[in-house]
Amino acid sequence: MRKLGVVADMTLREMLRRRGVLILLLALPLAFYVVRRNGYTGESIRALFLGLSWAISTAALFSASAGRAVEPRLRLSGYRSHHLYLGRLAALLVLGTGIAVPLLALVALDPAQDKVRTGGVALAMLLCVTVAAPFGLLVAALVPRELEGTLVLLVVVGMQMVVDPAGAGAKVMPFWSSREIGTYAVDHTGSGYLDRGLVHGVAFTLALALLVAVLSSYRLRTRSHMRFASGR
Amino acid sequence: MLASGVVDQERRSQWLRGVLDMCVLAMVSGGESYGYHLVQAVEAAGLGPIKGGTLYPVLLRLESTGLVATDWRQGPSGPARKYYRITAAGQATLRQAVLDWQSFSSDVNAILQRGNAILQEGQST
Amino acid sequence: MTINDGWLRDLGMELRRRGVPGGTADHVVAEAATHLRDSGEPPMAAFGPAGAYAAVVSDSVGAAWRRARRPAPGPMRLRARGIVKRYRRRDVLSGVDLTVHAGEVAAVIGANGCGKSTFLRICAGLISPDKGTVQVDGSIGYCPQDGGTIDFLRPEEHFVLVGGGRNWSRERSRAKGRAAAATLDWDASTPMLSRHLSGGTRQKLNLVMAGLSEPDVLLLDEPYQGFDRGTYLDFWEQVWRWRDSGRAVVVVTHMLNQLDLVDTVLDLSGANRERWS
Repeated sequence: MRKLGVVADMTLREMLRRRGVLILLLALPLAFYVVRRNGYTGESIRALFLGLSWAISTAALFSASAGRAVEPRLRLSGYRSHHLYLGRLAALLVLGTGIAVPLLALVALDPAQDKVRTGGVALAMLLCVTVAAPFGLLVAALVPRELEGTLVLLVVVGMQMVVDPAGAGAKVMPFWSSREIGTYAVDHTGSGYLDRGLVHGVAFTLALALLVAVLSSYRLRTRSHMRFASGR
Repeated sequence: MLASGVVDQERRSQWLRGVLDMCVLAMVSGGESYGYHLVQAVEAAGLGPIKGGTLYPVLLRLESTGLVATDWRQGPSGPARKYYRITAAGQATLRQAVLDWQSFSSDVNAILQRGNAILQEGQST
Repeated sequence: MTINDGWLRDLGMELRRRGVPGGTADHVVAEAATHLRDSGEPPMAAFGPAGAYAAVVSDSVGAAWRRARRPAPGPMRLRARGIVKRYRRRDVLSGVDLTVHAGEVAAVIGANGCGKSTFLRICAGLISPDKGTVQVDGSIGYCPQDGGTIDFLRPEEHFVLVGGGRNWSRERSRAKGRAAAATLDWDASTPMLSRHLSGGTRQKLNLVMAGLSEPDVLLLDEPYQGFDRGTYLDFWEQVWRWRDSGRAVVVVTHMLNQLDLVDTVLDLSGANRERWS
């Protein structure tokens, strides 16, 4: 637990020192929100969710890329791979929550949004963060460089934006849950949207985290040519 | 003429490098001495000027291998100096070195004189 | 007089840097001072540059002293056997063997691109060879040629991160890191981020990180890039200290002037020449 804490602490410090990135992380969802604000109420909130998801997954992508050179060394100095990916994930969840809270406050205080269910918006944002963080880590593990990763995230968020939420393909998109819960929160639909969204969000969070765990453990595995003397 | 003088100087300092430690050992065998005094003694003996930068490392090597013992003391006049004197191990080493050197130098002499004799013969015919 | 004082101070510093014990160093400096006073010569004429003279002194006493207090090699710590690595059907390493015991230093040498770094990374278990095994008894510390530090963290935060892997308290990690940095003539308590450190200082950080958790085997990949001459000597002193405390050290190097002081030399360009012939 202490090892995990140290990794999370240092990852968080590292991210918080990138001031420019932090400002962009806040500005991006905000811009999505403001651009759509004059239109239909639900549109701006859904755009905000997507902006938040994109921001957090991008942060995760960059954080994982920055750590790639160091993690093998940390493995050698006594960390197991789960300390490393869980620590990074924890830091991203903290960062994501830190960014989501002011955005939630914005929605709650915006007079144009006085009819939305704030609890629903909060839940949707939470799922945005919990899905986006492992999603960004997964993309980082699959592509060689940050540039490719950024493009992948752009494509995913772009598709998520244009895909028909009722269509069969929409459910395989990672951020579908926030859209469903968003509909519940904005349009005051029945709890079916909420339940579906919750199940989808939790399932995606767990599945993505599991994939990240598998890939990290493989990348940081003890190589088969290494023979360690017993007793150490 | 100048060129051959330079070469001579180089050769002499090469020779000296091989035997300086034994010469120093011999010079402190008669009684203790200090660095600058040894520099003067080497020069006075005709082996040419040597630098402090050459001598002191030799003394340190002799000291670290236990062939000389040292003592920091106020001299009869002037500042504190590091005095060197030979040890029993140094005496034994010196005795052996003298035998080795005699055998070595007589071998070198034999070769050089044989060569010289051939040159002389060539000249006389 | 001031010229002499400056030169003598430099001499003292250079002697200490080369690991000549303090008492001996003081005596050498005092003796040189007396000599300069007696002879009236300028220091450059009598002794030459302070650094060069210190090197000669260190060779005559330091090396003997180093050898004298050196313990006998201990048990085997690292054994690489039959390491083969191919890149694009070209053999980079073809059947390389290396054994290093506790208290030994091995140098891995060879031209650029002969696979020195690849070999070290295989020994560290960071990449897999196509054939061969690496047997390790103990823990490994690895110092890469570059990279390996975290741009937005301070040096002390790096120490906390590395020490955390051994469950050390933060204060202990910081203190150990600062002490190790001091032996490289570096004050690591700076609030500067790693990205703002000079290349040489970042390599010092890298080196301190590699040794921080007191590994039994140290694998160092030309870690002295960007070091000035003094730090380069400090680096080798650190290597001797590690060796004398019973570590097994492997250093990748293209500098040959330290090879007489290492125990094993693995020449990888030699291995490749054999392959071509």
